[in-house]
Amino acid sequence: MAGRAQRNGTLIVLGALLIFLISLSLSGSNFWQSIVINLGMYIILVVSLNLSNGFTGVFSLGHIGFMALGAYISAILSLPLSQKALYLPHLPAWLAATHLDMMIGSFPLGFLLATLIAGLVVTGVALVVGLVLMRLSGTFVSLATLGFLVIVRIVLINANDFTRGSRTFSNVTQYTDLWWVYAWLLVAIYMVWRIKFSPYGRSMFAQREDTVAAQSVGIVIMRPRLFAFAVSAFFTAVVGALWAHYLTSFSPNAFYFDLAFSIITMMVVGGMGSITGSIIGPILITIISESMRRVEDLTQLYGITQIVLAVLFILVIIFRPGGLFGDREINFAAIWGRLRSGRGAGEPKPQNVE
Amino acid sequence: MKIRSTILVLFTVLVAVLLSSFSMVSAQTDTIKIGLGFDLSGAESSLDLPASNGAMLAIKEINAAGGVLGKQIEGVSHDTRYDMALTAQVAHQFVEQDNVSAVVGFTDSDSVLAAGPIIQAAKIPFITAGATSPLLPSQVGDMFFMACFGDNVQASASAEYAYKNFGHTAYLLLDQGVEYTTLLAGYFKTRFEQLGGTIVLEDTYADDATDFSTQITKLRALSTQPDFYFVSAMPYNVGPAVLQMRQAGIDGPIIGGDGYDTPDIVSVAGDSANNVYFTTHALMDPDNGTDPIKKFFAAYSAEYGHAPENAFAALGYDSMNLLADAIKRAGSTDATAIQQALLQTSDFPGVTGSITFANGSHIPQKAVTIIKIVDQKFTLAQELVPEIVAPANPESTETPTAEATASS
Amino acid sequence: MSLPLYALQQLINALSIGSLYALMAVGLAMVFGILRLINFAHGDMMMVAAYIAAFALIAGIPLPIALLMMVLGTILITLVMERVAYRPIRTAPQVAALLTSFAVGQILENSALLVSRFARKPEQIAFPSIDLLRGTLKIQLAADVLQIPKVNVVSLVLGIVLLILLSLFVTRTTLGLSMRAAAEDLQAAQLMGIDTNRVIVTAFVIGAILASVAGLLYAVQSGTINPIMGFSPVLKAFIAAVIGGFGSISGAVVGGFTLGLLEVVLTAVPGLGDILPAATTSPGVISFFKTYLPSSLTSYRDAFVFVILILLLLVRPGGILGTTDRDSAR
Repeated sequence: MAGRAQRNGTLIVLGALLIFLISLSLSGSNFWQSIVINLGMYIILVVSLNLSNGFTGVFSLGHIGFMALGAYISAILSLPLSQKALYLPHLPAWLAATHLDMMIGSFPLGFLLATLIAGLVVTGVALVVGLVLMRLSGTFVSLATLGFLVIVRIVLINANDFTRGSRTFSNVTQYTDLWWVYAWLLVAIYMVWRIKFSPYGRSMFAQREDTVAAQSVGIVIMRPRLFAFAVSAFFTAVVGALWAHYLTSFSPNAFYFDLAFSIITMMVVGGMGSITGSIIGPILITIISESMRRVEDLTQLYGITQIVLAVLFILVIIFRPGGLFGDREINFAAIWGRLRSGRGAGEPKPQNVE
Repeated sequence: MKIRSTILVLFTVLVAVLLSSFSMVSAQTDTIKIGLGFDLSGAESSLDLPASNGAMLAIKEINAAGGVLGKQIEGVSHDTRYDMALTAQVAHQFVEQDNVSAVVGFTDSDSVLAAGPIIQAAKIPFITAGATSPLLPSQVGDMFFMACFGDNVQASASAEYAYKNFGHTAYLLLDQGVEYTTLLAGYFKTRFEQLGGTIVLEDTYADDATDFSTQITKLRALSTQPDFYFVSAMPYNVGPAVLQMRQAGIDGPIIGGDGYDTPDIVSVAGDSANNVYFTTHALMDPDNGTDPIKKFFAAYSAEYGHAPENAFAALGYDSMNLLADAIKRAGSTDATAIQQALLQTSDFPGVTGSITFANGSHIPQKAVTIIKIVDQKFTLAQELVPEIVAPANPESTETPTAEATASS
Repeated sequence: MSLPLYALQQLINALSIGSLYALMAVGLAMVFGILRLINFAHGDMMMVAAYIAAFALIAGIPLPIALLMMVLGTILITLVMERVAYRPIRTAPQVAALLTSFAVGQILENSALLVSRFARKPEQIAFPSIDLLRGTLKIQLAADVLQIPKVNVVSLVLGIVLLILLSLFVTRTTLGLSMRAAAEDLQAAQLMGIDTNRVIVTAFVIGAILASVAGLLYAVQSGTINPIMGFSPVLKAFIAAVIGGFGSISGAVVGGFTLGLLEVVLTAVPGLGDILPAATTSPGVISFFKTYLPSSLTSYRDAFVFVILILLLLVRPGGILGTTDRDSAR
C-alpha cells in the first residue's frame, strides 16, 4: 500500500532527524550546533525561494529583502522595554510600549508572537510588491526584485528611529535554538510539499513550462504566482526573525547581495523545483564551504572557497541545469520498502550528514 | 546513477577532509593559542587585512624573541568573510575547537557584536583591533577590551580643535552607508553644536561614490563659505573627496577622523591634501616618528612588501603586543588573570600611542593626536584630550558631563 | 552663485557622470542585444582592466603601452569567459545566464584578491596618477566659475567618440550589420548564413573594450582599486540600460545620461533651502525647501532611482526609447 509505505517512510526519516537533533543538543557542542542551526535556516530560505522561483519559473533575486524586514520587525517587537528605551528612544508610542518578551513558563511566547507578526506584515508587503512586480516576466522581474533588495536596504539605513540606520542593531534576546529552527523547518517543508502536490501546485508548474499553454487551459497566471510569492515571503521573514534572535545583532549590510547569491547557489545546485534538492543543496554547499574554509586557513589562500563554489555553480548550470534533483523528490515509500526487505526502488538519501 | 554515486563519493571525501582537519589545529599543546578573527576577503578587508597583518607580525616578533612565559604564541586565524553567521561560528570554533586563550580581531562593530557574546560567555578575553564604537564594552561584557579610543572621543577632539582654530561655522559631509562614519559625524555634530557652532550645510554620499561633484557644487553655491569642512570618510573615499574638493576651489581646512590615516590620501590627492587635518591615534611617520614607529614600518614593509596601509595595521600590531604583555604580567594564560592584567595596564607603549585602562574602563585612555598634512607629509598639529566627550549613546538624553578622561 | 548658474553647473555634472554611465551601459547593452544575456561580470571586467593598467603602470611601462595591454588583456579574459562559461549555456533560459555571469564575477573578484596577495600588494591599491587626467577645467562665466574635472571631460569626449565609432561600425560594416541582424533575431540571422559565433564574439570584444575604458576612468576618479570595485558600476550600468531601453545602444546612451541627471537632481534639489540666496528668494520658497526637501533627503537617492526604475518597467518596459524586445517585459 503506497500510502502506508510512504507514511512509514516519512516517519523513519523524521525519527532519524529527531534522534540526530537530540544527540546534537546533548553533545553540548555549540560549534556544531551553530553549523546545524545555520544550515536549518539556509534550508528554509532555499525551500521558500524555490517555492517562488523554482516552481513558478519566476526568478526573484530580492527575497533577502523580506528576510531583512522580518529580522528588524521581529527584533523591534521583542526588544525588552529597558533596551528599547536605551537604543530606540524615538519610536512612536505604540511601538515603544510593545515588548513581546513574555514567557509562559520557559516557553518564549513573545518570541513566537513577534515572529508571526513579522511574518504576516512581510507577507502583506510581499502581496503589494508581488502585485506590482508579477506583471513583468523573465529577466525584468529579476531586475525589479533586485531593485526591491536595494530599496529595502536604503530604507533600513535611513529609518534611523526604527532601525538605528547603518549602526548595528544589537542586544536582541537570543531565543532561537535548534528546536525553533527545525520546528519551523518542518512546518515550511510540510507547507511547500502540500502546495507542490496540490492542484494549485500543478498549475504553478504548468505555467512555469509554458505560460501561453497554461493560459489556454484556463489557468490564471497571477494568482498562483502571487500565492507562491507570498508564502515564500512569509517563511523568508520567519528566517529573518530566527536569524535576528540567534545572532542577536545585525545591520542592513548583512542582508544584501552576498547572502542572496549564496542562497541562489544552494538552490540551483540542489535543483529548482525540488524540495529534496532544497535540502540537499544547502547541506552540500555547507559541507564544501566548511571544508574549504579549513583549506584556506592552512594555505592562506583566502578567496578560494568562493572560486570553488562559483566553478561548481557554473559546472552545474552547464552540465546539469536542473540541479542535482531537478524536479524529483525523495521517495519515502522506497525508504520503507528498503528497510523492510533490503531491496527497493529508488535510492534512499541520508537526511542530514554531519 | 553515475552522478549520484560521484556525489556520494565527493560527500565522503569532503567529510573526511573536514574531520581530519581537526587534528591539525590542536596538534601543538605547548603553545599559547590566540584566536585571530578578521574579514580577510570580504567588504571590510581593506581594514581587517592590515590589522591581521599587524597582529601576525607582532606574533612573529614575539616568538623570535622567545615567546611569552617561555612558550611560543600560535596565532589561529580564521577568515570571517564579513558574514555575521560565519563570524559567530568562528567564535564558537575559537572557543570550542581551537581552545584559544584569547581572541584579537575585527575593526567593525557588526563583527564584534556577532562574535563578542559567544567569546564573553566562554569567559575568554577579547581585544578588538579597530572597532571604535564606544558602546561596545557595555554591549559585549567585561572580557572585552578596545585597543583604541572611542569615536565619540576623537569626534569631540576634532570639534573642539576646529572650533578653537578654524571657526564656528562648518560643512558636514558623511558616508551614509557605514556605521563608523555615521557615528563619527553624529558625535562631531553634537559636540560642535554644544560648543556653539553651526552646521550651515549637511550632505551625504553613498559608500561606493567616486564622484563628489554634485555635493561640491551645492557647497560652492553657498553664499558664504563656512569656516571649515568636516568630512566623515572611510580610507577608500577620503582621497578622491579631498582631491575633488580642492580642485573645485574649496580651500578652507578639511578635518576628519582616523579614516584619513592612510598613505592613500596623499597618493591619491597629492598636493591637494594640504590644509587637511585628522584625528588619529599617533603620528605614524616613518621619517619623523619615534624609533618604535620606524621599526614597525620597516618590519611591516619587509614582511608584506608594502608600507602599512592605514592606522589599522598598527592597531592590530598593538593589540597583539598588548595582549602578550598582559599575559606576561598575569603570569599565566588564565582568563581572569589576563583580564585583571589588562585592566591594570598603565602606559603600555604602543606604536599607536600609550595605552592605559583607568578606573575599570575597557576603553583606553589615549590622547587624541591631530595630524596636519603639510607638503604631502603627516605632521603633528596637536595632541589633545577633549574637555567634554559627546555621550557614547547618541540617543541618550543626559547632558554630557565634564570628563577629564576618555572613558565611556 | 546664482540659481541659473547653479543649475548649469549641476547640469554639467550630470553630463559628466552620465557619460561614464553611458559608456558602461553600452557595453552591457551590446551583449544583451544579441545574446539576451545580462552580464553581471561586466563590472568585474572593468576591475580586471583597472588591475592590468595599474600593475603595468606601477611596473614602469609607458602609458600608451600600458593602455594597450589593458585593452588586450581584458579582451583576452572576456574571450576565455565567453568560450568556457557562456557558450555552453547559450540555449539555456535567460536566468541561467544571468546567474552564471554572477559566478564568473565571483571567480574574477577572488582571483584578483589572490593575485594581489601573491604580488604582495595591499588589498586596496592606489592607482598610479595619470597627469593628463588630473586637474579641473575652469570656465569663467560672469562672476562665477564653471568647473569640470578633467577626467570627466575625457569621459565625455571619449564616450562620444567611441559611440560614434560604434554606430559607424554597426551601420557601415558587414560585421556590424550582421550584429544588428543577430540582435533582431538570432535564429533568423543564423538561417541567413551569418556566423553567429563570430558575431557574438565581436559583441563581447566590443563590450570588453568599452568596459576597459570605463574601468580606467573609474579607477582614475576613485584613486584606488580593489577586487570589488566593479560591483556598483555594473548595477548603475543596468539601471541606465534599462531606463533607456534595454538592448539598444542608443537606449543605453540615453539611459546613462538620464541616470546621471536623475542622481544629480536627487542630490542637488534637496537642501536648496540652505543655499538659495536669501536676498533674492522669497522666504516662502526657502522654508518650503527646508521643510519638505531638506538636504538629508539625499540619502534616499538610490532608493528613488530604483523606484523610478520599477515604475518605468511597469509603465514602459521598453524604456525611454521604447525599444521593443522580442522578449518583452510583459
